[in-house]
Amino acid sequence: MPEMAAFCATHIASRGLKLRRIGLVARRTLRAGQDHATRKWRKRGDEARLETGAMHRYVACMVRFENVGMRYSAGPEVLRDVTFSLDAGSFTFLTGLSGAGKTTLLKLIDMTQPPSRGLVTLFGRDLSVTKRSEFPALRRRIGVVFQDFRLLDHLSAFDNVALPLRLAGRSASDYVQDVEELLSWVGLGDRMKARPPTLSGGEQQRIAIARAVVARPDLLIADEPTGNVDSEIGQRLIRLFAELNRLGTTVLIATHDRALIEGMRAREMRLVDGRLIEMRAQS
Amino acid sequence: MAVREGSSSILPREKGAAPLDVVIAVMGFLAALALGASLIADRTALGWRAGLSDHLTVQILPPAKNTPGQSLDQQVDAALLVLRATAGIAHAAPLTQEQTLSLVQPWLGADALVAELPLPRLIDAKIAPGAEVDIPALTAQLKQAAPDSLLDDHARWISRLKGLADTITWSAYGILLLIAIATAAAVSFATRAGLEAHHEMVELLHQMGAHSSFIAQAFERHYFRSTLGAAAVGAILAAILFLTAGGLEFAGIEAVPFLPPIALRLSELPWLLAVPVVSGLIALATARLSVLAALREIY
Repeated sequence: MPEMAAFCATHIASRGLKLRRIGLVARRTLRAGQDHATRKWRKRGDEARLETGAMHRYVACMVRFENVGMRYSAGPEVLRDVTFSLDAGSFTFLTGLSGAGKTTLLKLIDMTQPPSRGLVTLFGRDLSVTKRSEFPALRRRIGVVFQDFRLLDHLSAFDNVALPLRLAGRSASDYVQDVEELLSWVGLGDRMKARPPTLSGGEQQRIAIARAVVARPDLLIADEPTGNVDSEIGQRLIRLFAELNRLGTTVLIATHDRALIEGMRAREMRLVDGRLIEMRAQS
Repeated sequence: MAVREGSSSILPREKGAAPLDVVIAVMGFLAALALGASLIADRTALGWRAGLSDHLTVQILPPAKNTPGQSLDQQVDAALLVLRATAGIAHAAPLTQEQTLSLVQPWLGADALVAELPLPRLIDAKIAPGAEVDIPALTAQLKQAAPDSLLDDHARWISRLKGLADTITWSAYGILLLIAIATAAAVSFATRAGLEAHHEMVELLHQMGAHSSFIAQAFERHYFRSTLGAAAVGAILAAILFLTAGGLEFAGIEAVPFLPPIALRLSELPWLLAVPVVSGLIALATARLSVLAALREIY
C-alpha cells in the first residue's frame, strides 16, 4: 500500500488539482445533463417527469441503457432488453460467459457500435440524437482497455501511453513526467522505449491499461483487463482502478475472473444469453 | 529513465512505399526539366527579341540584267543617305561582301561559285535606345531612293520567336500541370491504400476521441515529407543534368546546333527548388482531402 499512496500522491492527485477537477467535471456533467434532460422533457411536454424529480436519475448517471437490443446485421440479438445505469463514481463488474455479449455492451458504451434499438445515454447525452461531430469529445472522456490491447506496434511504450494526451492537445513537455510515472508504476519504467511486439502479453496489457487511465477519464471501461497478467500484477492493476474510482472515475470492468470480483465490494451485473441480471449491488 | 519522445509520427513508415517514392522522384525530375525548359525558352526569347528589336535590315536586291536605272552600289549609297538622315537611326552601315557570304555559308557553303551568285546587299541599321522609327514612312522613302530596297524590321521574326517561346513556355506549364495532376492522383491512391492498410489504427484513434482532422494531419505530414524528399531527389538529378549540359557547352560541345544552349544559369537553379516544395504541398493537400473524404465515408 505505500506504493499506492505514493502513486496517489504523485500521479492521480498531482498538483492537488485532480480532486478539484473531478468536482468541476461532476458539476459540469450534472449541469449539462440537467439542461439536456430539461430541454428534452420540455420539448416533449413531459412536465410530470420534471415535477416528480425523475431528472435526478438522469443526471447522476454516467451511462444509462433503456431496453437496448443489439444484433449484428441480420443475426440473432446478442443483447436483449438491456436496462441499467451506471452512477457517477460507481465501480461495476460485468460478468458472463464468453459470447454472452460483454464486449458488445462495452462497444455500445464507447460508441463503436450503435444499438439496434433502445436508448443509450452517455454523460447525460442521448447518443441517438448527438451529432457525430460531438463524439470525439465524448470519447476522450472515456478510457478503454481493449481485450486485444490494440497498441500501435510502431510506437514505443511511452508513445502508446501518451497517445490520449496527444489527442487531447497536450504538449510533450507537459505530459512526459505523467507518462513516465505511470509507466514506472505499472512496472514498465525500464521498458519505455520498447515497442509492443518486443513485450510480453502481460506487459502489453499493462501499457494498454496505462494508456486508458493516463488522461484520467470520467469513465473507464475495461474488457478482461487482467486476462494476461499474473495474480499479483492483476491485483495491483485492480487497485489502480479502485484508486481512480475513489477519486471519481466511474469504472466498468468486464471479466470472468471470479477471484477478482470476490476481492472487491463492487456491484456485479451478469449477462446471460444477452440479458442483464443484477447480481450484487455496490456496498 | 528519462524519455523525451512524444513527437513520433502516428503513422508508421509503410512497407512497400518505395515505388511511390520512385514515381514521385521521376515526376519531380520531369517537372524540373519542364520548368528548366520554360526558363530557358523565356530567357532565350528575351535575348533574341532584345537583339533584333533595335535593329533594322535593308536589303537591296540585285537589279535584273539589262534593266535601266541605278546600279546596286548607287542604290546602297542612296539607302544609306536616307537611313542616316532618318531621326532615331543611330548607326547604319552596309555589310561587306565577306560578311554577306558568311551569313549564307551554313546553307550554301563556301565555294567560289557562291561568290558569283547575285547576292543582295545588306545594310544594318541600329535604332537609338528609346527612339521610335516610323517604319512605313521609312519604307516609302527607301523605295523612292532605292527602288530595289526591302526594309525588314524583323517584326515577322520577332513575332515567330515570341510564338515559339510562348509555345515552349505554355507547353512546359501544361506538362507541369499534368505532372501535378499525376502526383496528386498517385498520392491520393497511396493515401487510400494507406488508410486501408492502417484501418485498425485509424479506428483506434477514432475510438480514443481523435478528430478526423488529427488523423488527416498524420497522413498529410507523412506524405508531405516523403513527397518533398522524393521530388527533391528528382529535382537534384535534373539540376545535375542542366549543369552537365552547361559544362559541355562551356567546353564547346553544342548539344543541338543552331538552338540556344540548354543549360540553366546558376542564378536560375534555385527555381528548381519550387518543384519539391510545390510537390510536397500538392501531396499535403491531396492527402488531407483524401483522408477526410474517406473518413466521412467510413465514420
